[in-house]
Amino acid sequence: MKQFLIFLIFLLSIGESQAQTLIMGTVKDAKAKPVIGASISIKDSYDGTSTDSLGNFSFKSSESGEILVLFSAIGFGIDSVKIVLTGAALNLNLVLKEKLNALNAVTITAGSFEASDSKKGVVLSSLDVATTAGAVADVYAALQTLPGTQPASGESGLFVRGGAATETNTYFDGLLVKNPFNTQLPDIASRGRFSPFMFKGTTFSAGGYSAVYGQALSSALILESKDLPEKTTTDISLMTVGGGLDQTIRFKNSALSFGGSYINLKPAYSVFKQATDWNHEPTSAGGTITYKLKVAKTGMLKSYTEYSKSDVSLNTADLNTQSKSFFSNGNKNLYTNLSYQDYIGNDWKINTGFSASNNSDNGEQAINNYGRTDRLIQAKATVTKYIGQLSTIKFGSDFLSSHRDESWNGLSRAYNDRLTSAYVESDIFLSNDLVARVGLRAEHSSFLNQNNVAPRVSLAYKTGKGSQVSFAYGEFFQNPDDQYLVQTNQLDFQKATHYMANFQKMKDGQTFRIEAYYKKYNDLVKSAPNLNNKGYGYAKGIDLFWRDKKTFNGVDYWISYSYLDTKRDFSNYPSAVTPEFGAKHSLNIVYKQFFSKLKSYVGATYSIASGRPFYNPNATAFMSDKTKPYQNLSINVSYLTSVFGKYTVIYASVSNLPGFKNVYGYHYSNDGQFRESVQPPALRNIFLGMFITIGDNTYKN
Amino acid sequence: MKKNIKNIIAIVFILLTGTTLKAQDAKYIGAMQSGLKMFSEAKTGADYVAASNQFERIGTQVKTEWLPFYYAAYTQLINNTTLTNTDEKDAAMDKAQELIDKAEAINPKESEIFSMKGYIKFMKIYVNPMARMQSGMGAAITDLETAKALNPANPRPYFILAQNAFYTPEAFGGGKNVAKPKFTEAAAKFDAFKTSNPMMPNWGVERNASLLVECK
Repeated sequence: MKQFLIFLIFLLSIGESQAQTLIMGTVKDAKAKPVIGASISIKDSYDGTSTDSLGNFSFKSSESGEILVLFSAIGFGIDSVKIVLTGAALNLNLVLKEKLNALNAVTITAGSFEASDSKKGVVLSSLDVATTAGAVADVYAALQTLPGTQPASGESGLFVRGGAATETNTYFDGLLVKNPFNTQLPDIASRGRFSPFMFKGTTFSAGGYSAVYGQALSSALILESKDLPEKTTTDISLMTVGGGLDQTIRFKNSALSFGGSYINLKPAYSVFKQATDWNHEPTSAGGTITYKLKVAKTGMLKSYTEYSKSDVSLNTADLNTQSKSFFSNGNKNLYTNLSYQDYIGNDWKINTGFSASNNSDNGEQAINNYGRTDRLIQAKATVTKYIGQLSTIKFGSDFLSSHRDESWNGLSRAYNDRLTSAYVESDIFLSNDLVARVGLRAEHSSFLNQNNVAPRVSLAYKTGKGSQVSFAYGEFFQNPDDQYLVQTNQLDFQKATHYMANFQKMKDGQTFRIEAYYKKYNDLVKSAPNLNNKGYGYAKGIDLFWRDKKTFNGVDYWISYSYLDTKRDFSNYPSAVTPEFGAKHSLNIVYKQFFSKLKSYVGATYSIASGRPFYNPNATAFMSDKTKPYQNLSINVSYLTSVFGKYTVIYASVSNLPGFKNVYGYHYSNDGQFRESVQPPALRNIFLGMFITIGDNTYKN
Repeated sequence: MKKNIKNIIAIVFILLTGTTLKAQDAKYIGAMQSGLKMFSEAKTGADYVAASNQFERIGTQVKTEWLPFYYAAYTQLINNTTLTNTDEKDAAMDKAQELIDKAEAINPKESEIFSMKGYIKFMKIYVNPMARMQSGMGAAITDLETAKALNPANPRPYFILAQNAFYTPEAFGGGKNVAKPKFTEAAAKFDAFKTSNPMMPNWGVERNASLLVECK
């Protein structure tokens, strides 16, 4: 009995009188740099400590026998080591491997500028796209301040690295948009149809983009729409050019938005002197319906439908007869898309989409009636498999059915094409610092009865904290323009091959990028002597970008510069020359500042570009003449206030404040006797708007 | 005698399990107290990280208590305020988020946890307010409203919302005038608030008072 009691006391005392073992050592990363703030612990025990500023640690443990030491730190993985505690002091030299994660992993940046709010390490935010001065919330105009693009001209769209406007295509939630702009008028660029406020992510690729996208020789603009809006709101906009009303209703797992707008440029144009002789100033009316539904935990269904109708007429000068020539246009545009994405299990993702559009233009040109209809139906599905932490492989297919018909005084012609594509692409992370993207895209056009196979490869290597180099190579195919396809199917795909090298450094609110590229064009369509694919060309250059939010308190500015050397023989050109969209030097300075006391955002954009070549029939060489340089300084102010207690933004913008007289080119009469300059419709444009939000009094940009 | 031995074995068993339970409890409380001491004495970011690591170790070991993960997240949040590099700030807030998620998994109906969740979301927004304000505010406010609903006596969600209003520019619906009645409301809640246990969250009263003074 006595023995038993002793045994009992012995048992009870175990907890209090164990031997303590001193465990010390260091934690370093793979490059032998100390890891600060790493946690060291013993499995199934409270014992442990953290490393100091030299990566050293030491602690005592009352455990004994074989134990597992766990160690981890932010930005690193977790690792363990088995040791035996005997009471004797231990010294451990531990090495932590960097965790593969999106925060510190290298990203492929060659060719692309991404604007996003959710992703890390992007150069722009989606708000940047919407608030760039001079752009007046036009996505395309905002992107013209990025390197690789040309400043505004009389033609709609983006001219990227020596490419024509038709070489840039727009994708909305992965789906090609056939008519992303309002109708092009003679020598007057049109705005994009989509509001930048609809998108949470905008990726502008000046080349070397993913195999998921096709049918763009030069550039892809990839727009990703926002997810569920947070609240039920009513948005009212009153502008010098019209007004709009949008209602968003938020349900538990879904949201419905619908709205309408009416735009009439007549009042604004009557105030500001117009170089253009308007007959009926542009008017348009339209409506949109958006529905978004969260399906289960991870699925998202989005649909967007837009209809608009616009009318315009004007007189242009007919230089041959020295008289006015009438032009009118009535446009009806219907666009709808439906997309669904979801995760299946832990490592599969599907993206599917369907879109349809119908765009018709009718009007008169001089004494002739013309008509044009574009119809497009697209279905697309992509499956992504995640491998490990970051690597992916995706494959998918898309089907594009396009129809175009044109009429001229009762005569008509049309074509139908079914473009079937399949693609596969893999992002392979060889380490946190090195990624390779390898892709392949194949297309078949039923109308051309031709196939193409386009390989694409990108590499990115992280050279240091915040700095990396990227390389990209890719082949890109695009159908000939509609104007040629309605005439013949005896043509082949046009082809561009991109090579580019990029260096990027991002640190504490500052970004520096430099990119050199070479682009080779083959099989461009020539219209003389007959339609053929014998056109060719090249573009090479250097793009620079510098953004700084740090140096001046509260000031955010960026500078972009593009050097372009390009020549091509295409269209009706007699030889390879620099085309009219080939300004050699372009420079943009974009400035933004928020004045808290004045509750105002102020922005300014200054652009300067060297002259553009134009065709002068009197000159000895083709396209040897150049316009004078282009300059523009635009400013905008957004004043945040409340009207009747509702959150309100008052917006004012002035484009071309100093009144630079810009000339985009010249038109000549057939005999070369007379010429007329191509210039913007007005020297300056002033825009005023008031945007009221009801239902959300707080925290809205 | 045989019966006696049986009884003794039973007594020993009861005593032993009782002691180990007590020992576990004492160990937990001791470890928490040392963590809270590290927290209260912390001066640098590294000190807060060390405290956070301590709390995370406790949470991982004890498994059934939400308080260690709660403090691990809170100390990581304080660590974030000592950092200047935005990537590091983001990493600290991501870590805080991961820790508070673990606390929530243990106790999904705790007002203090929802307060911290909302606070972490605000801090995430402050890393890049221009880009994140519009999309992030709603979710943060939802968490704090949930915290209020779970325990209307908890002053912290009131304080966190008041503080957010204080630091939000007037132009965006914030400012001192908006914040002042919120701080006053929070102050009343702080006055009435009693903790059941000295380890329970009981922070914010001083900061609430000093920011209220700044509103005047």
